[in-house]
Amino acid sequence: MSKHVYLRAYMAGITVPSVLMVFALISFCVVRFSYDFPFPIERAMVFPLALVPPIWGLWNMLFVALRRRRYLPLGLHGAVVPLFVGPLGFAILRMSGLDIPPLVATIFPFGVAVAMAGYYLVWKYLVGFCNELAGIGL
Amino acid sequence: MNPSEERVPDLVKRALGPVADAGLKRDLWPRMRARLDRPAIRLPWWDWALAAAILLCFILFPAAIPAVLYQF
Repeated sequence: MSKHVYLRAYMAGITVPSVLMVFALISFCVVRFSYDFPFPIERAMVFPLALVPPIWGLWNMLFVALRRRRYLPLGLHGAVVPLFVGPLGFAILRMSGLDIPPLVATIFPFGVAVAMAGYYLVWKYLVGFCNELAGIGL
Repeated sequence: MNPSEERVPDLVKRALGPVADAGLKRDLWPRMRARLDRPAIRLPWWDWALAAAILLCFILFPAAIPAVLYQF
């Protein structure tokens, strides 16, 4: 099981966001179409659909590459991701020319902080479980 | 069962031929026992506290939910 470690790390990394994304998209669709939320969410969906899973896969590969050097635990390694993903997502929202409601812009840093806590738990338990299944657990 | 139906199992066996090497390569029971003996995952109290804090944030500030979900 020592072959293709980075490929297995990538696959283990993208599994969790690919599953969570379905639930996130369902929530977005419910909010948008059931409650008539005045924000074209479907135009902003490209970020969670196309970019977040590969970022998780690459981040997990980075963890595998760095863990031999007494690196951070997996949960803390994962908690760093929103520091990149949050601003990147916000920038993509801005660049796509969407009218971001002031409330969303105000609450976004708070969302990043909450996402860091969520990422810590998800990486520690779910990505850790996937890593173990893929034979690259600690 | 009529005589033609009785011949069906024989015909199927003859058509498919014997299955070679159908046995397991190794005994899987020791691995199963090891898996059963492994202790269940226990969450430390600070992880419970963190999960509760996230839930509390969602209850107090529902507007933060899309901002968080957007990053997953």
